[in-house]
Amino acid sequence: MKQVAIAGKGGVGKTTFAALLLRYLQKNRPDILLLAVDADPNANLNEALGLKVDKTISTILEGTKDPKAVPSGMTKEMYMEYKLLDAVVEAEKIDLLVMGNPQKSGCYCYPNDLLRKNLEKLRSNYDYVIIDNEAGLEHLSRRIVSQVDLLIVVSDSTVRGVRSAARVYEIVQAVSLDVKAVYLVVSKTTDTEVAKLQEEIAKTGLELLGSIPLDPLVAEYDLQGRPVVDLPDDAVAVVAFSKIADKLKL
Amino acid sequence: MYAADVGPQYEGERIRKNEFQVEFGGPDVSHKGELVTVKGLGEVEHEKITVSGPDLKDLPEGFSGPLFIKVEVAGEELEKDLEAVLERRIHQYINYIEGVFHMAQRYDIWIRIHKNSFKKGLNSLEQIGRILIDLFTAELPVIEKMSVEFITDPAKVQNLLVEALKVYKERDERIKGLREEDVDEFYGCVLCQSFAPTHVCVITPERVSLCGAINWLDGRAATKVDPEGAQFAIPKGNLIDLVNISYDNVNQVVTERSMGETTRFSLHSALSYPHTACGCFEAIVFYIPEVDGFGIVSRDFAGPSVTGDPFSTLAGSASGGKQNEGYLGIGIQYLTSPKFLIADGGFNRVAWMSSALKEAAVENLPPELAGKIATEKDVQNVDELTEFMQNAGRL
Repeated sequence: MKQVAIAGKGGVGKTTFAALLLRYLQKNRPDILLLAVDADPNANLNEALGLKVDKTISTILEGTKDPKAVPSGMTKEMYMEYKLLDAVVEAEKIDLLVMGNPQKSGCYCYPNDLLRKNLEKLRSNYDYVIIDNEAGLEHLSRRIVSQVDLLIVVSDSTVRGVRSAARVYEIVQAVSLDVKAVYLVVSKTTDTEVAKLQEEIAKTGLELLGSIPLDPLVAEYDLQGRPVVDLPDDAVAVVAFSKIADKLKL
Repeated sequence: MYAADVGPQYEGERIRKNEFQVEFGGPDVSHKGELVTVKGLGEVEHEKITVSGPDLKDLPEGFSGPLFIKVEVAGEELEKDLEAVLERRIHQYINYIEGVFHMAQRYDIWIRIHKNSFKKGLNSLEQIGRILIDLFTAELPVIEKMSVEFITDPAKVQNLLVEALKVYKERDERIKGLREEDVDEFYGCVLCQSFAPTHVCVITPERVSLCGAINWLDGRAATKVDPEGAQFAIPKGNLIDLVNISYDNVNQVVTERSMGETTRFSLHSALSYPHTACGCFEAIVFYIPEVDGFGIVSRDFAGPSVTGDPFSTLAGSASGGKQNEGYLGIGIQYLTSPKFLIADGGFNRVAWMSSALKEAAVENLPPELAGKIATEKDVQNVDELTEFMQNAGRL
C-alpha cells in the first residue's frame, strides 16, 4: 500500500491534481484498487471523480459523542467501524471517503483515535491511498493519517502560491511527519511562468516535480459540471500529468 | 478442511460492492439481526445447523437481502448475562473467514461474501455455521452444546426481529441500571495526557468520560481489544470513603498514572478531592459561595455565565490535570447519572444551569426542583440568583 498526500492552499488546483493522479492510476494500472480521501472541507474531490457523497466522517465523529446517534448496546469502537465502511463510496476500482466539516468545539481525542485505528485497518485493503488535504494539514499533524510515502505540494503559478507551498512544507517539517518524499508541482502555468518563478521555487527548498499547464478544457469541464477523470487522453493537463507520472514511476 | 481459509489474519478485510456474491443486511436492508440465547442442556441439539430460506447457492450473484442468525448455546456454567458477549463473538469469528466480512451487531448486522470464496466452494451458510460452532466450542469450553440457524426467508426474519428487539431492550435496561456497586472494574483513560500529562479519566457505569465519548461499556470494549492502550481496566478495590465515594485501588491507579500528582479521587464530588480534567470536558461545575450552590455551564454556551465568567475562564480553573476544589469538568451525560454529585447533595446543590444543560438533565431532575434551578433566562448575575434562590425557598 502506498499513501500519497496532496496539499496546497485553496484554489491552486490541488483537487484537479488529485483527480488527474487517480485518473492515471485507473487507466494505466487497471489491476489496482484505489482509495481516495477528501480531507479538505472546501474541496470537492467527489465531483472531480464524478461520485455522489452523502455520508462524511465528520458526522461519524460527532455521532460518537451523541448518545442518541449510537444504537443502544453498541460500543463506539463498533459504531466507528460500521459507519466508516458505510461512508465509503464504492465505484468501479476506486473508493472514496470524505472527511467533511471540521469538528464542533470539544474534545475529539477519543473519536479521532478510533478513526485513526479504523483507517489503518481500512487502508490495508488498497494498493494506493490518495489524500486531498487541506492547507493546514490538520489530519496529518494530528496523526489521523500517518506514514505518507509521497507528499505533493501543489501551487498555482503565482509567487503567493509558491510561498504558501513553502509554508505547507514548513508545517511538514515542524510537526516532523513521517513523509518519505516531498515534491512541488506548479499548476495552471503558461509558457514562460515557471521560469519566472524559478527563484521563488528555489527558496522553498522543495524539488520541482513538474508543472500542469493551464488547460481550457479543465475549466470547460468545470463549468459543465463534468468530472475531471473523464478528460480525454490528449487533454493538455492529462498529457502533462503523464510526464509527472513517469518521473514518479507510478 | 473448510471451503474458505479461516484465521484472524482475515479480520479487517473489506469486500467491495462489485466483489460480493451475496450481501446480507447493511444500511440498505431493513430486516436483519442476530441473537444468542443461553438455554438448558436438554434444550439444545448440539451441532445442529439449519438454513431456513434460500441458501447462498440459491441466490443470484450480487444479491442483497435479509438474514437472521439464531444461535442457541448450553453449558453447565453458562449464564444469561453472557449472551451479549457471545453474540459479539459471532462478529469476530465470521470475520475470521477468508472473503467474508461482518459488521456491527444486533439488529444492525452487515455481511458480505466474496465471489472468490463462493467460487472456492463457500456456497452454503451451513459451512459458516460449522465454522462458528468449531470456533465457539474450541475457544469457549464453557459452551457444551450449540446450534445455529440462518434465516433468509424475509417474513421469518421480520418475525424473529420483533422478538429479538424485546431481548435487546431487556439487556439495555439491565445495563442502564448498572451501578458502580454492581461491577468490579472501572476503566481509566489517559488519551489526553498529551495535553495534560497528569490527568487520568476514571470511567464508571455512573460516570462518563469528561469528553463525553467513552462510557463504561466503551471502556470495557477498548481494554478487551487493546489492554495496553490508552484505555485500561481499574479493578476498583475497596470503598474507603462512603460519603465522597473513593476507592482504594482507584486512588492507587490514579496516583501511578498521574505520576504522583493526584493521590485521591472522590468520584462524585466537586468540593472534596475532585476528579481532575485535561481541559476538554463538555461542561464545568463551579461553586458559587454566595448561594452555597453550583453553577453548570457547557462549552457551547456563548457569553458570561451567572458569575460573569464565561466557560473559557471557568475551564481554566479545572484544567491541566490539577485538582481545584470547587471546579469539576464533566461529560454532559453525567447529568443523568444516579450518582451525579451525590457527595455534595446532587441537584439539591445546583443553583444555576444553562438552559440547554437543564434540558439535558431533565429526566434526572427531581420534579420538585425543576422550577427551582435558575437558567440564563431567569437571572443574569449572582445578586439576581440569590433573590431567585430566596424566592424558591432554597436560601
